[in-house]
Amino acid sequence: MIEKGKISAFQLALMMNPTIFATALLLVPAITAKHAEQDLWLSPIWAAISGLLTVYISCKLNKFYPEKSLIQYSEQILGKIAGKILGLIFLLYFLHLNGIIVREYGEFVVGTFLNTTPMNVVMGSMLLVCALAVYGGIEAIGRSSQIIVPVVSLLFLVMTLLLVKDLDPKKLLPVMENGIMPSFMGSIVPSAWFSEFILMAFVLPLLKDSGKAMKWGVLSVLSVMFLLVITNLSTYMLLGKLTIKDTYPVMVAVRYISIADFLEHLEAIVMAIWVSGTFIKISMFYYSTVLGMAQWLSLSDYRPIVLPIGFLILVLGHWAAPNLQSLAHFLGTSGAFYMLTLQLGIPVVLLCIAWIQQKFQQKKDGGQ
Amino acid sequence: MKWAAVLGITFIFVCMALFEWPKLGRGSKKEKIIFLSLSVIGWFLGSMLVFFPNPPGPTELMDGIFKPLGKLLEK
Repeated sequence: MIEKGKISAFQLALMMNPTIFATALLLVPAITAKHAEQDLWLSPIWAAISGLLTVYISCKLNKFYPEKSLIQYSEQILGKIAGKILGLIFLLYFLHLNGIIVREYGEFVVGTFLNTTPMNVVMGSMLLVCALAVYGGIEAIGRSSQIIVPVVSLLFLVMTLLLVKDLDPKKLLPVMENGIMPSFMGSIVPSAWFSEFILMAFVLPLLKDSGKAMKWGVLSVLSVMFLLVITNLSTYMLLGKLTIKDTYPVMVAVRYISIADFLEHLEAIVMAIWVSGTFIKISMFYYSTVLGMAQWLSLSDYRPIVLPIGFLILVLGHWAAPNLQSLAHFLGTSGAFYMLTLQLGIPVVLLCIAWIQQKFQQKKDGGQ
Repeated sequence: MKWAAVLGITFIFVCMALFEWPKLGRGSKKEKIIFLSLSVIGWFLGSMLVFFPNPPGPTELMDGIFKPLGKLLEK
């Protein structure tokens, strides 16, 4: 085993929560609202189905091949050469996706707060912090998420409570005006985000109590779903159809908070929430890429490649898109299918093949 | 100015190598080769983006592949 640290299933659930939620908070409400309009609060509920499916697949595959990660068992399922190629595809995919995530982070920070700071500095400093976390191993990420996630979730709920007096529930009517279809179309992009739960396939072999993995994974999906429903509800009840026009509707909603002319300009808190959530998210992706790469190359330690891969992520983040508009457009259209294919489609195929192989093996053993 | 950026990228890699090399000394030869080749790829890509900002990249490639499905969500 390359990684010697162990975490608990509860820590895994805490780590996975911001891994989905941190960036789903930003661009996704606007994209969902474009398709689902006033039914946007239903979309995360449909999308959670893909999250549950991904958790089920990764737990099932882990049962077939305990002690092995996605990269390792794809080699065992498909054979040496095809498995290596699939592993490389996964690694390049996670590198690219991590680049996109870092770019989303950079665009958000530069666009709303640090207007004159060069983007590469913002992205590079975040990656440096994440590189230190990855260097510390899975235990460091697990413990930092134990500290960060409860605080972040609590602050987020407080933010929503402060908005309550300005909310207008009538904006949500009529419910399901055009049937179920619009909310379903709006759920495609969030379900691409939910399928990021496939990162569990890298971490499951490192669990102390892998029996509880399924339970905590499901709870993690449900917590993300709950937070997303709350976000979408409060944003739409406040902004109505304007949700579609803004790139970051949640940010606009929080800027709106004003209580007794005293509690104002709370966007700095949202920023703090968001930066710490993204720290966990980027670290998780970074860690999975580095660990997967070390397993793919069968190294004895993953630490030597942490820094060079960090630089590659920075370059890919710079390269991901020419500007925010084209990035948002990519994520809202073909990007969703790109993510769903690699994070849900291919693992489903892998599980089917593994299942058939297992059946054959049993028959062979039974016959002898 | 562009050469200064390349110099900056090189500086980052020198720092990375100085940080990592003493630890690699104990490791095998394979790790050194992989560290060096990943660094060379990173340096090459980084310097390329300094001279040609925004060439078509992986995002454009994937956008091309998944365009037929992506049209479903075009609005």
